[in-house]
Amino acid sequence: MGINPTAGQIFKALLEGFWVNLEVFAVTLALAIPLGFIISFGSMSKFRPLRCWDKSDSQILRIISKFAPIKLVTRTFVWIIRGTPLMLQLFVVYYGPGLLFQTPFRSPMTAVLIAFVINYAAYFSEIFRGGIEGISKGQYEACQVLGMTKSQTFFKVVLMQVVKRTIPPMSNEIITLVKDTSLARVVSGVTEILHGAYNYTRMGLIWPLFSTGLFFLAFNGILTLLFGYIEKKLDYYKG
Amino acid sequence: MAILKVDNLYKSFGKTEVLRGVSFSMEEGEVLSIIGASGSGKTTLLRCINALETATSGKITIGQETFFDSSNPNLRTKASDRRWQLSCGLVFQSYNLFPQYTALENVMLAPKLLAKEREDFKENKKEILEEIYEHAVALLERVGLSDRLNNYPCELSGGQQQRVAIARALALSPKILFFDEPTSALDPLLTQEVLKVIRELAKSKTTMVIVTHEMKFARDVSDRIIYMEDGVIEADIPASELSENTNSKKLRAFLGNIEG
Ligand SMILES: Nc1ncnc2c1ncn2[C@@H]1O[C@H](COP(=O)(O)OP(=O)(O)O)[C@@H](O)[C@H]1O
Ligand SMILES: [Mg+2]
Repeated sequence: MGINPTAGQIFKALLEGFWVNLEVFAVTLALAIPLGFIISFGSMSKFRPLRCWDKSDSQILRIISKFAPIKLVTRTFVWIIRGTPLMLQLFVVYYGPGLLFQTPFRSPMTAVLIAFVINYAAYFSEIFRGGIEGISKGQYEACQVLGMTKSQTFFKVVLMQVVKRTIPPMSNEIITLVKDTSLARVVSGVTEILHGAYNYTRMGLIWPLFSTGLFFLAFNGILTLLFGYIEKKLDYYKG
Repeated sequence: MAILKVDNLYKSFGKTEVLRGVSFSMEEGEVLSIIGASGSGKTTLLRCINALETATSGKITIGQETFFDSSNPNLRTKASDRRWQLSCGLVFQSYNLFPQYTALENVMLAPKLLAKEREDFKENKKEILEEIYEHAVALLERVGLSDRLNNYPCELSGGQQQRVAIARALALSPKILFFDEPTSALDPLLTQEVLKVIRELAKSKTTMVIVTHEMKFARDVSDRIIYMEDGVIEADIPASELSENTNSKKLRAFLGNIEG
């Protein structure tokens, strides 16, 4: 970059920066949704290895019998991820391995993606859990008396209803994700759009910083339209 | 040869005993109504027979096969539970249709999934699916909904939804069809259209067990009536004997209460 970059050059640099944001966005979305489903199943797990003490006379054993390890571990995990700043998680993922085990991340981008995927999967999992738990018991029982297997019940009956219910909260979360991608700049070597724009302020230029806002607005505008369209598409039935 | 035999069924939820030794059997083609005050355990009984609930003890035999026997816990396998589910059909009080599917799709879903497990499915896919479609259309016609095939549940009245639910249950040709208060969520007019469908099924010798509060209907449509109170069968009588001067004192009191 020259001493005095032209507006065109700056715009091009911003566009390249935004491409990094879009990468983080796309990979996070693609991986955090399936991972979120898996975590939501974990947080609803009824696996209780000590359930044989259910009806024990000792109250302590009855309390111990409620121990559900998978649920406990996933809910604790979700609590930690949702309860701490994403920026802290980015630092921990990126610097943690180097400081703890002397094996630093080779690729900053990988560290960013890992932190984002884990963070968003935790948020998504709670949305999915709400959606799945909101399906009435009657739907499951109707499937059961029709001889459907558990996986048929989930994929043929439950999933579609969960999708419909979770579109509004998911669209909120996804729009937040677009904006959160700018946090990736805290990992050195990831030059997302804000990182680049910030450099220009040191040259005395403020407009590139403002223009980054336009990129986010435009992209979120497109997403808002898209979600509106999907919601409308799924509006062919109620319930 | 009985089509359904229930032996000494007990069911508790925690410390509350809901079924306390229920035994009865029924023949193929028979229509049996179960009456009794709410809380007497009628729903729990149907749910135990339909494998939605596991009885605490007792034995349940459908056709030739014993699906549940508390003295022989090894009896139950995934496969036998599946056969159990498929030999029973259940119509719920709250319909429980799948909202994202049309009436026709609701009826076809389970048969389609089941057909995919057939060995000859790949070879005869087209014929099999065609058959399922025609069967579903015929069933919906039978419950008076040939003009509602492609409507979603939210576009149907309660009575129409319940009739779709009946067609859906019939689609798998269960040995016995169970109804749990199929009309108690419906107003009188819609109730009649559902009862009419059940009457027609009775005429064509569908084996049915109906939990209902419609006494007149129960007397008309059933061969036999079971009266339950506090988790036990207090009377098991031919439907024609359902009147104020029936032998069972408790049933007389129950009938007196609802008439008065
Ligand atoms: N899942 C359950 N857990 C605890 N108690 C239950 C459960 N299901 C039913 N009961 C109790 O069992 C009794 C009988 O209920 P139910 O079988 O629904 O009767 P009915 O259908 O004749 O009205 C009621 O007292 C009810 O509270
Ligand atoms: Mg009931």
